[in-house]
Amino acid sequence: MWTKKIWPVLIGLALLLPGPVTAQEEVASRYYHYRSTEMATGLYEEYEVRPRNQAAFFQAGERQGLGLSRVEDQQNRAWNRMFLSDAHRDLPFYERRRCVDCHPDNANNRHTVRHGVTCRQCHGEEPIASINHYFARLNPIRQHTHVCSKCHEGAGASFALYRVHEPNPALLSTARIMPLLFYAFWIMVALAAGTFALFLPHTVLWGIRELFMKKGGGSGES
Amino acid sequence: MYYETAWGRGLGWLFGGFETALTVHVYVGIFMLGAFLVHLVYLLITIRWRRFPSCIVGPDSLVPGINDLKSVVQHTGWILGLGKHPPLERWSYWEKFDYWAVFWGMIILGGTGLLLAFPLASSQYIPGWVLNIAFWIHRIESLLAMAHIFIIHFFIAHLRRTSFPMDLAIFEGSVPLSTVEHERPEWINRLRHSGQIYYCLVADAPPVRRALFYVIGYLAVLTGFYLLVGALINSTRITW
Repeated sequence: MWTKKIWPVLIGLALLLPGPVTAQEEVASRYYHYRSTEMATGLYEEYEVRPRNQAAFFQAGERQGLGLSRVEDQQNRAWNRMFLSDAHRDLPFYERRRCVDCHPDNANNRHTVRHGVTCRQCHGEEPIASINHYFARLNPIRQHTHVCSKCHEGAGASFALYRVHEPNPALLSTARIMPLLFYAFWIMVALAAGTFALFLPHTVLWGIRELFMKKGGGSGES
Repeated sequence: MYYETAWGRGLGWLFGGFETALTVHVYVGIFMLGAFLVHLVYLLITIRWRRFPSCIVGPDSLVPGINDLKSVVQHTGWILGLGKHPPLERWSYWEKFDYWAVFWGMIILGGTGLLLAFPLASSQYIPGWVLNIAFWIHRIESLLAMAHIFIIHFFIAHLRRTSFPMDLAIFEGSVPLSTVEHERPEWINRLRHSGQIYYCLVADAPPVRRALFYVIGYLAVLTGFYLLVGALINSTRITW
């Protein structure tokens, strides 16, 4: 009967065809979604999406800037170095200094150490903008398109969450910033140390024991 | 890892520089994971599923059991001169430990290695900062594995008086009957009782092949010591 044969076809179609929808996302094509582009890049068509209010600022971490402290929060933000378009504005003798003179720990990253990436290849030319400044290239809303993908072609927003300036995993302060890194590091170290604490004495004593074994006697006999 | 030191760059030069060495590293890692998958398939085929739970606890199995705990205590006692050597079956507890250490090492190193080798693909499923963690797990696990092989495994298989100059089982796939009678009496007794021993006997490897085994084995040992000493000497000169 053809009615019986039609059921597998219907089930197959139900599985393969998209489900019913009530409202659909704005798309330019099947593969190109405006919304994901907007969220990933901060760009909508050719126009930059401006911050609407303070809440729209995307802050990188909880670190407070090195700026002047004002009582008024808005004023504080305006003077905070973490939000300036020129992070080094008004610093004395700035031209005579190298990045590592003031940021000594920040050259210790695998991009620099292994691949020779310089500070300015990511942070940009003068004036170097703070990463929290809205139009900075390293602002997390666009760093993957404007910085990471210069070398890592196709880098996404998640990819850019990799910490280039990784905190030292051994330090207790890391437990606050990246707890998983801290605990994973110490669990692995404990595993390694435990293995050697057990097997090094075991092996050494065993070697000594076999040296003083009766001649010709295998370990099964002596 | 030792790219900052002259020693490390010399090692990288053997592979054609740091970048090429990294590529080789990725392909060798994938090859090793492939071998591990083959081993898993082999396990699935070898296990006699009809008698499933009971067949993996027998003496031919590498699954650790109560007897291994006993032989740990007894063997430690023997090392300290307090008692007799434990009667060992086919697999001793240190061999079982080594097997499972490599087993989980493959999973840890292979998993983190795949994440790190294809960061663009993996960051679609995990946040990018997991790669920082994967990097450190990969690094510490590999240091643990290499140090364990170069120090403890090589000592047990080469420098111990009973196995000096080299335990050839890794290459030959067989061990001399006289050695096994001394070292694993229980196993030989079991095989004699069931009569299986006549199916287990094989001829020695020809001398030429055996010489080759010694050359390969001692090359591995020398490489291991060279890497170990170099890594220790240079460990203060690199950015951790």
